Amino acid sequence: MDRRTFVKASCMGSASLLMPGGLDPKVRAEVTPPSVPQVELRGLLNYNPSPLGMPGLFPSRVIEIRQPNAIVRNRISQPIVRHMLEHAMQELTGEKSASAAWARFVEPHDIVGIKINPSGAPACCSSPEIVREIVASVQSVGVPARNIVVYDRYSYEMDIGSYQTLLPPGIRIVGIQEAFVGDTGYEPSIYCDANCFGEWETRSFMASIVAHELTKIINLPTMKDHSAAGVTGALKNLAYGTFNNVARTHRAPHSFTSPMIGLMCTVEPLRSKAVLHIMDGMRQVWHGGPLTQVQDFIDQPGILLAATDPVALDTIELEAIETKRRERGVPSLWQHDANSITEDSGEFYRNASKNLFFRQPGHIAAAGKLGLGVGDLKQIDHRVLSA
Amino acid sequence: MTETPKDKSLDWPTLLKDNTRSGGQGQQPARPPERAIWQFHAGSSVRSAPILQDRILYVTSVGGLVHAIDVGTGTSKWKFQAPGQIHSTPSLSGNRLLFGCDDGKVYALDRHVGNKLWEAASEAEVWASPVVSNGVVFFGSADTKVYGVDAATGSQRWVRELGGRVYSTIHAVEHRLYVGCGDGRVYSLDASSGTVLWSTLTGQGIDSSPAVDGDLVLIGSEDFWVYAMTASAGEVRWKYETGLGIASSPAVSGDLTVLGSKDGFLYALETQTGRLRWKTVVGEVVTAPPVIGHGVVCIQAGGTFALDCATGKVVWQAALAGAVQAVPVLAGDNIYLASLSGEVYALR
Repeated sequence: MDRRTFVKASCMGSASLLMPGGLDPKVRAEVTPPSVPQVELRGLLNYNPSPLGMPGLFPSRVIEIRQPNAIVRNRISQPIVRHMLEHAMQELTGEKSASAAWARFVEPHDIVGIKINPSGAPACCSSPEIVREIVASVQSVGVPARNIVVYDRYSYEMDIGSYQTLLPPGIRIVGIQEAFVGDTGYEPSIYCDANCFGEWETRSFMASIVAHELTKIINLPTMKDHSAAGVTGALKNLAYGTFNNVARTHRAPHSFTSPMIGLMCTVEPLRSKAVLHIMDGMRQVWHGGPLTQVQDFIDQPGILLAATDPVALDTIELEAIETKRRERGVPSLWQHDANSITEDSGEFYRNASKNLFFRQPGHIAAAGKLGLGVGDLKQIDHRVLSA
Repeated sequence: MTETPKDKSLDWPTLLKDNTRSGGQGQQPARPPERAIWQFHAGSSVRSAPILQDRILYVTSVGGLVHAIDVGTGTSKWKFQAPGQIHSTPSLSGNRLLFGCDDGKVYALDRHVGNKLWEAASEAEVWASPVVSNGVVFFGSADTKVYGVDAATGSQRWVRELGGRVYSTIHAVEHRLYVGCGDGRVYSLDASSGTVLWSTLTGQGIDSSPAVDGDLVLIGSEDFWVYAMTASAGEVRWKYETGLGIASSPAVSGDLTVLGSKDGFLYALETQTGRLRWKTVVGEVVTAPPVIGHGVVCIQAGGTFALDCATGKVVWQAALAGAVQAVPVLAGDNIYLASLSGEVYALR
């Protein structure tokens, strides 16, 4: 079957998702966003979707586990995160052991990708300590080290995070592309095509490693404000970390992260392969994301979340960052006041009341409307545990 | 100082100039560069440091190309395409140019024409720079092993398994080797057999490459600390805490040890005591090693900075050559820079 899909308001059964009038209702009247472009999605031909695909085995369920001692003076305790992950996985699946919990998602013959988020390294990125525990957990199911791939788009960002040095021997550590340029490493037949702002290249292509090599993906996002998307969580880490040429979806002060993030996550085989999302909340960036190195904007709450439903997970994350911003007395992520926009990135990194874009936290609910998960807080089974 | 073809003092044949990791003492980068003499595109990102000998600059790039560039003209003398990506800083030994490759091998090329002379295999990528001492090439690999191979033939003399990936470049002093490891340990090995003489645990994996000054081994760890250990026994003489992990390698000059931290600062510590002499913020993140010239410290961190070695004050800066691990080569009036974007610059 040709999975070429023209996404138009009329054919998705979710007109409000893509029509300008259906954008976030909190957009203030004085802000006139550009029209949402027509989007064409093309997935892998003849791909048979997996029942493990998003929203996965446990739609709407989010496990949150808190242990402030997991991070002390910016250093993470390996034994504590091990216990947190085991506890969270058992609670998520209802299994009696951690290895049984992991066996719900991974089989010994799988080629398992661990999609980290190194952007923002070293201040806030996927913690090597948690990556190590995921690697050990996947190995506990019988997957050999050589079939475990820790990956992200930009290899230079992975270098800054020193993942090569800090992760166990035997596993592969892959940067899909070099810094800044290059389109090798991407599958030309799988893409998301949209002319956002008149750019010359209107397509974003899926990483070949996702399209063809990996059979399962464990997603390891961080908890961060995002100047364009509102937050960067499970959905954005997958979408903009799998497809190339995504910066074109922002042109200050506007951004099409909604609906592009959700749409990209629907493209097969990404949707089917992303079976589990572990959110690293050891650190929490409440302003300046995704790249800030300003420690004043980074808290260290020692949180870990687990879900198969990325929409529910990101909804919880969004609430957490919103709460933090309220506590700090800075504007909501939903605020679309033209006076808060600055063209000076230096000011953005100094002043938490300023932003470079009108953030689009509505991308999470939009992804929910695409069937990727549950975005209504009242319907989310949010279980908070203490380690 | 003006370069002449016979001026051997300008050679820079390995990481941080030579096996003492002195970082080019005696060179004079104190004046800011005024212009670019030439610019050369390496074809892909450069994540290693260039080296210089006899007015030929050798640069490896992630695309697997090794370039020999005539520094007089900025033109290619020869190039060699390796089978894998290259993150390793090359080094020179006699007529041999050595570098590690992501295909798990170390290659030796004829430095004059770029022909392959030999290759030596490990079981995973080699990012560290090969180091030559007493006719033996030493290198660590991501396969967790350290290798000693014959410099003339590439045949293996010995191999020693450590506890983690090795991305740190070995420091060879007389009959001993020192190296950091992904298992968080600093190791001292016997150069003739690879026997572990001692190992000392830090709190996290080690990217940094050690320097040795007298009886002190100086190295940074991803646990945020700078360590000084005795070369003879690995006892920690002092340690100094920075704000984040350390991937940068120390340069030692006079009584100072200088290195960067991922917290964005460059630190100058008294080598014998670990007392902070100064620290200066030079970027958001520092992962490259500094080099020390004539009273000036140079570092690539987003741009290129030169700081007064005595005070830490920025003497000049150039918005060129963002880098992860590149190091400026200081050669008389000229400075050679390689960049994350794949550009190589000659500045004067």
